[in-house]
Amino acid sequence: MDSDRWERVQALFHAAADLRAPEQVAYLRRECGDDQDLVREVSALLAGDSTETLLDRNLGQLAHDVLAPGIPVALRHQLFGPYRITGVLGEGGMGVVYLARRDDLGSAAAIKILRDALLSPSRRDRFASEQRTLAHLNHPGIARLYDANTLPDGTPWFVMEYVEGQPLTDYCASHRSTINERLQLFRAICEAVQYAHLHLVIHRDLKPSNLFVKPDGSIKLLDFGIAKQLDNVDDPVDQTRTGLRFMTPAYASPEQIRGERMGIHSDIYSLGVVLYELLVGRLPFDLSNRTPGEAATIIAEREPEKPSVAARRMAYLPGSDLRTVSASKAAWADLDMLCLTAMHKAPERRYRTVEALIRDVDHYLSGEPLEARPDRWSYRVGKFTRRNWEAVTAALVVLIVVIGLVAFYTVRLARARNVAVAEAARTQRIQSFMLRLFAGGDEEAGPSDSLRVVDLLDRGVQEARALDAEPLVQAELYQTLGGIYQLQGNLDRSDSLLRASLDQRRRLLGGDNADVAANLVALGGLRLEQASYEEAETLIRQGLAMTKVHLAADHPAIAAATAALGEVLVNRGEYAKAIPILEEAVRLEAAKGDTTPDLSNAVTLLANAHYYQGEYAISDSINQDVLRIDRHLYGAHHPSVGADLLNLGAIQMDWGHYADAERYYREALESMRAWFGDDHPETASALTSLSRAIVSQGRPDEAVGMLQRALAIQERVYGPVHPRVASALNELGRVAQQQGRLDQAEADYSRMVRIYQQIYRDNHYLIGVALSNLAGVYVDRKQYTKAELMFRDVIQRYSKTLDPDHQLMGIARVRLGRTLLLDRRYPEAATESLAGYDILHKQGEPPATWMERARRDLVAEYDSLGQPEQSSRFRAELADSSAARR
Amino acid sequence: MVSSEPDPTPDLERDDPTGPARDELDRLFSLAYEELRRLAASVRRGDPGCSVTPTVLVNEAWIKLANSPHFAVESKLHFKRIAARAMRQILVEAARRRNADKRGGGMAVVTFDDALEMGASTPDDVLALHAALEELAGINPRQAQMVECRFFGGLDIPETAALLDISEATVLRDWRAARAWLASQLRPK
Repeated sequence: MDSDRWERVQALFHAAADLRAPEQVAYLRRECGDDQDLVREVSALLAGDSTETLLDRNLGQLAHDVLAPGIPVALRHQLFGPYRITGVLGEGGMGVVYLARRDDLGSAAAIKILRDALLSPSRRDRFASEQRTLAHLNHPGIARLYDANTLPDGTPWFVMEYVEGQPLTDYCASHRSTINERLQLFRAICEAVQYAHLHLVIHRDLKPSNLFVKPDGSIKLLDFGIAKQLDNVDDPVDQTRTGLRFMTPAYASPEQIRGERMGIHSDIYSLGVVLYELLVGRLPFDLSNRTPGEAATIIAEREPEKPSVAARRMAYLPGSDLRTVSASKAAWADLDMLCLTAMHKAPERRYRTVEALIRDVDHYLSGEPLEARPDRWSYRVGKFTRRNWEAVTAALVVLIVVIGLVAFYTVRLARARNVAVAEAARTQRIQSFMLRLFAGGDEEAGPSDSLRVVDLLDRGVQEARALDAEPLVQAELYQTLGGIYQLQGNLDRSDSLLRASLDQRRRLLGGDNADVAANLVALGGLRLEQASYEEAETLIRQGLAMTKVHLAADHPAIAAATAALGEVLVNRGEYAKAIPILEEAVRLEAAKGDTTPDLSNAVTLLANAHYYQGEYAISDSINQDVLRIDRHLYGAHHPSVGADLLNLGAIQMDWGHYADAERYYREALESMRAWFGDDHPETASALTSLSRAIVSQGRPDEAVGMLQRALAIQERVYGPVHPRVASALNELGRVAQQQGRLDQAEADYSRMVRIYQQIYRDNHYLIGVALSNLAGVYVDRKQYTKAELMFRDVIQRYSKTLDPDHQLMGIARVRLGRTLLLDRRYPEAATESLAGYDILHKQGEPPATWMERARRDLVAEYDSLGQPEQSSRFRAELADSSAARR
Repeated sequence: MVSSEPDPTPDLERDDPTGPARDELDRLFSLAYEELRRLAASVRRGDPGCSVTPTVLVNEAWIKLANSPHFAVESKLHFKRIAARAMRQILVEAARRRNADKRGGGMAVVTFDDALEMGASTPDDVLALHAALEELAGINPRQAQMVECRFFGGLDIPETAALLDISEATVLRDWRAARAWLASQLRPK
């Protein structure tokens, strides 16, 4: 057909098009005459005019169909580990998911191959190591990652558990799930996410198509952490675009849209959107027909309609299958709060952890009030401006202070044992026994040479075994020797002797008498030292109750057992419970009218309990008294005096007076060394404390040798899993960190975490302290997200185990603030720093160094936020405090 | 598509003159092509929260490229015309590749989901439309260009009228005839 003919055909077509069919035929016959081809051509056009064609289809749909993948030839014979691709499962924003089978076992898996995501060779190692982390996620609600690697060209692929089921929203719709059923599913999802967060993995792409409900109603989360790989992708074109082009904007948090660092709070936001969709039946924002730019603005700025309002409106739409609107008005108010707290624009105003979100879901389900609170005015202020940022060039060596950790374990031991020895010595028969032991030696010089003491003890045990004719004396000797072995650090020997003594007495005297009670308390003391606190508390409570039955109220054994109970409670971190019990112990001891070692012991424990409560001034003054008492009782070089000096040093450390602390510690070391010799755990602990003060004054090289010696001693005496070993590791880690040996620091701190976790079963603030130190290493490595996650975990642990205003909580938030500051997330950083500052400010004795740090961070943060009034407030405080120091 | 299979460089037939002007257009086309290919990734998503129309795609590509210092184009309209052509090219290439995959590997047994099989004839449709448009361009270049702009570039009627310097009524008329003709060509014979 040529142009002229085409013009003619068109003219006829237009003329005929608006006629009715019979008239069209007549018209064409008239106009075309004999030209049957022309009739055919115009008729074809008329037929085409009323036919659906490709041109009537939506181009987006067409593009999808055309671009949707089959199995590319190149992949058909490719092996992915033992798997081979057999079909296509679907396609997501990041790539294509294939069905795969193992040739050998026939088992199925899903293989995801990222699109447009080449990894350069240099990044593939890191990719592999990150996949190993993901492969360790082992939770019934998380699809396992079996394997991952890159194709020869660098395209990453992942072999994952193949999950059959329905996406969450489809499942709820097709099952017409009730509001509570939806929340139960949501809760299960949260638990899986929480598990991953505890393993420092963020999902980054939570959305219903990644949340599967299996036919049995259990949930399975797909693609955990895979979105992170997009950070590693080589994309020279436009870095900020990289994340955007893969994600699903509808579920992405404002910070994600802005291309900022993501953290657990980003997952929490996405969970909020998922919850919104579950409750309402549609997404919070309609982003269809929006440009990505418009979508970003909406997500960053527009407040979503309340779920309650939106759900009511949705319910009127035809075909709505929602059963959620049936909830009461009060229930909806809570659901609004839950959802909108999770989805808050400001990350710091969201639930801090998924666990907190779960708690509120539980509160809702059981009809209790939620923990989430509406926004306060102060949080609504603040559009985020980012001008005036001057790089913070200050040295950012984050110093680690483990509050009282070292002093904690050095104080309590020597004292109780001295008491045990003294008690034993009071007994006439024991005295003569001791004299026989020492016969031929220089009695006075006894304890100063530890080797010989060991010889003497071994001889003593032999002598005691020979005393079969006097089984009760034998039992008493066993107990005494057990106490001395404990003092020597030979805990296994002590254990077997104390148990032998207990068995013997029970056999001879029955189970309920003062001697058995004394034995129970002694064994409790050993368990205390072995860090089996629960058993220690049980034994001592049992012993104390039994003692009270058999002995008069003013008997020293009752005072001693009461003090022992207080000590166990201090060790378990129950300071508030310990203080009244220790005050009772002090009262009982003081009632005797003398200045005795027992009184000194009880008062010391009381000082410690106050110390751990953060009441340093009280603790300091009590400790000064104890030091005077002990010098009076024991002279200058005695473990008790050493212990007092260690406590006083610890308080100086907390005040940031490191040089004063060092003086106390050197004196303490001298006392311990003089008494125990060089190779003893007490000496080791004193060494550890001293090195801490030295490191704090910026002399790490001086400290390393001391610390390694201390660690070796502690490991030998206490075995690899003991708080003292952890304490030594803490110091070594800290020094390594200060010297920039970050791998060593990470290894030391990680081991410390594991030790505490083994001892305390995941529920003690010391685990938080250890994690906090580990997080500091990640800060040094500029792995801010990792550090942030860890600090948030720490804060959560503290909130379970400590008072909300506890000093450690303040320090943790200051450290989190610093991390966020380094990550240039100023608004969140300011929130954390300020919260930490407020907590520290409330302390009776705010720790000076941390206050200083918080102020400095706040100045930087408010400067960056363009809030000069606030920053000048803290600048002024900084000036004041430095003036005060001068 | 999986990156192990690099996309060929665009080789679209050009209807523009030779010399510097043509080089410039080549470059513009390459830029638009790259950007659209990137954006097309979002079209490929099945997520309900992410429905992107060609208009949105082309707008985004424009915003992105218009800010690039290397990108000198007199108007957004002019760009849209280029983008429409680039989009056509992308889809045609993808369709060819799909067909090559289907026929070339000799793999008879591929277990596709039914749902995924649904759009399987689409690549042929796209190639047929492409061929028909080429033929139309031989008969009436303006109408071929109009179809390209409206269908592949998402230009609306006023934009198309302005671009081709004709009245909107003429656009409507031409479009209807072109569409009817293409429909007659695409119908199974």
